[in-house]
Amino acid sequence: MKIRVFTAILVCKIVRRLAKLFGRGSSLPGKYALKICPDILSKLELPELSIAVTGSNGKTSTVEMIAHVLKSNGLKVAYNKEGSNQIEGVVTFLAGDSTMSGRVKSDVVLLEADERYSRYIFKYFHPKYFVINNLYRDQMTRNGHPEFIKSIISQAVYDDMTLILNADDPLVSSFGKDREGTIYFGADKLPTDKPVNEGIYDDGKYCPVCKKPMVYEYYHYNHIGKFRCTSCGFARHDTDHTLTSTKEEGGKASITIDGKYEIPVFFTGIYHCYNILAAFTAAVTAGIAPEKAAESLGGYILRSGRISDFTLGKLDGRLLLSKHENSVSYDRSIDVVVSDNRRKSVMFIVDAISRKYYTSDSSWLWDINFEKLKQTNIDKIILAGQYCDDLAVRFELAGIDEDKTEMFEFVNDAADYCSHNLDSFLYVITCFSDKEKILSIVTRRELA
Amino acid sequence: MTVNILYLYPDFMSLYGDNGNVRILERRLKDQGFDVKIDKATITDEKISFEDADLVYMGSGFESNRNLAAEHLAKFKAELVKAVEDGVPMLFTGNSYDILGKGITAADGSFVEGLGIFGFTFKEQLEKRYTGDVILKDNATGHRYVGFVNRAGVPDATDGLEFEAIKVIGNVPLKKDGVRKNNLLGISLIGPVLLKNPRLAESFVKIICERKGVEFKETDYPHSIKSHAKTRKALLEADN
Repeated sequence: MKIRVFTAILVCKIVRRLAKLFGRGSSLPGKYALKICPDILSKLELPELSIAVTGSNGKTSTVEMIAHVLKSNGLKVAYNKEGSNQIEGVVTFLAGDSTMSGRVKSDVVLLEADERYSRYIFKYFHPKYFVINNLYRDQMTRNGHPEFIKSIISQAVYDDMTLILNADDPLVSSFGKDREGTIYFGADKLPTDKPVNEGIYDDGKYCPVCKKPMVYEYYHYNHIGKFRCTSCGFARHDTDHTLTSTKEEGGKASITIDGKYEIPVFFTGIYHCYNILAAFTAAVTAGIAPEKAAESLGGYILRSGRISDFTLGKLDGRLLLSKHENSVSYDRSIDVVVSDNRRKSVMFIVDAISRKYYTSDSSWLWDINFEKLKQTNIDKIILAGQYCDDLAVRFELAGIDEDKTEMFEFVNDAADYCSHNLDSFLYVITCFSDKEKILSIVTRRELA
Repeated sequence: MTVNILYLYPDFMSLYGDNGNVRILERRLKDQGFDVKIDKATITDEKISFEDADLVYMGSGFESNRNLAAEHLAKFKAELVKAVEDGVPMLFTGNSYDILGKGITAADGSFVEGLGIFGFTFKEQLEKRYTGDVILKDNATGHRYVGFVNRAGVPDATDGLEFEAIKVIGNVPLKKDGVRKNNLLGISLIGPVLLKNPRLAESFVKIICERKGVEFKETDYPHSIKSHAKTRKALLEADN
C-alpha cells in the first residue's frame, strides 16, 4: 500500500507544479492524488497540532490571522491559502507539504474547512482543534439553512477534538452542549450593542435546543448576543477569551481582549473583531503566549479587501464588499452607511448572484434590513445589475422614497449616471461576484 | 374596508424572505383601496382564529420548526378546514405546504401527522438539500410559475399534486408539485413567490375583491412583470 501513497504524493507534487506553471486551479493535483489513493488523507502522518476553522463568514480571514500568529512565533504552518476548502484542495496542500513517505513537514496543519465538506474530510483525520465562528443564513441556494448546516457540521465533530466556539451565537454554542473541555470566545457588552434585534428576521428568537422562546440581554448584531432560553436553561456560556472593549478615536482604532491585550486594528467592524478574537483564542489554545498572540495580531494587515476606496470622476467613494445570499453581511454594510454622517449616496449591485452557478433566487433581498437606510440622509440610491427589478420592488416596499432611487440594468450606465449627476460621497455595496464590474470602471485609491 | 391577513408563524416559519409575500399582498391590496391589517399568529399562541381572516399565509422554516408548527396547527384543524371550504384564500409556500397532506416521514423515520386536506405525503432526509430553480406549469389555468425550491423532502405519494415541473435546474427530484382547493394554494417555491409571479399575486387580490364585493381595479406592476419575464427566459435557456 505504501507505493500507492508514494505515487499519489508524487503525482500530486508534479501536477501541482505543472498547474502552477500554467496558472491553473488549486484542487486539480489533489483530485489526481485521490484517484490513485482515495484514502490518502488517512495515510498522511500529520503533526500533533492541527486546527480547522469553519463558519458562515470570516473563515479565510480567521485562518490567515491564525497562520500569521503561528508563523510570527516561529512555527512552520501548512494551510490552504488558496482558499480551496473541499477535499481535493485539502489533499493538494497536505500532500504538497509531505515528504515522499507521507509525513507532513510543517509544525502545524491549519485548515479552512467548508461547512458542507468537513464531514468528508474529517472521516480521514481529526484536527485537534475545531473552531466554529458563526452560522448565519448564507448561500442558502446551496446550504439549505443554518440548522441543516449545523446537522451537517455535527457529522464532522468527533469526541477527540476540542471545539472552539463562539459563545454569542446560539446555534454555534449549542455544539458545546454536554461536551467537556470546550473553549468559548465571545464579546462583553459593547457600546454598539442594541437592546433589540434590528434584523428583518430573528434567528435567535427560539432556542436551538428545545425551540422555546429565548430572551436576550443585548444583541451585538443580528442573533449574536447574550441569550438565554426561557425554558431549558440553555444560555450563553462563560467565555475563556473575551472581547472586552473596542475603541475608535482620532482615526485610530483598537480592540482589547481579556481586559489587557490591546490590539490596534484597521477598523472595529464587529465581525472583524470576532475574527480577530477567534484567531487569538485558537492561537492561545494552541500554546502561543497571549501577549505574543496579541502582538502578532496587532502587526497583521488585513488583506481581505473588504473595503476599497476609489474615485469615479469627481466623486470619492468606498466599496463595502458584502456577500450576495448573505443578509447578515449586507446588514453590516448598511450599518456602515447609516453611521456615516456625511452627505452620501449608495449603489447596490446585484448582477450575478454567484460566479459559480446561475440562480434566479433573490429571496435573500427580503431578509436584508434595507429599511434601516431611512434612518440617515441619503441623496440617491442606485440599484444596478440584472436583478434591478427585484431590488426595485424590495426598495419600494421598504418605504424608500421612489424619487431617491435610480435603476440601471448595466453597471456601466449606473456608474455614468453617478459621475454625471452626483456630488456626494458614494458607497457601493456588492459581492465578490460583482465587484469587478465597478472596480474596472473606477480609479482605486489607497485606503484613507 | 379592511382586509385581514392572517400571517401564520411569521417568526417561526420565516426562512427565505417569505415575509415578502405578505408585504407584496399588503401593497397590492392598499392599491385597491383597502386598509390592511396583519394578524400574526405563532407557536406560543394558545389559540389561532381563522374567523376574521380574509387571507391566510404561511412560509418555510427549518424542518424541526415545521414539524412543531404542524403539531400546533393541528389543534385548529377544524377551523382551518372550514375556512378552506368557505373559500378563504390561502397561500402556503415552501415546506409549509407539506403539512396540508397526510403527513411527512421525517429524517429520523418518525411520521409527522399532516392536516390531511390532500392525499399526498412527503419523505425527508437530512443528508443533502434539494435545491434548484424550477418552472411549474399549472395545467388547469395554463399559468407558469417560476422560482426556487429549497427543501429536504420529496413526495412519496403524489395524490392531489397539480403542477407539472416543466424545467428544473439543480437537484430537485420533483415531477409534480403544488395543490389547490377552492382558493387555497400550496406550492414548493420559496421566498417572495408573488414578486416573480405577478399573475398569482393578482389572482389572490382578485379573489379578495370579489369576496369583499369590491370591483377589481387593473394596476400595473412593471418591475414584477419584468422580473417574471427575465427569470422565465433565463430558466428556459439554462442547461438543466
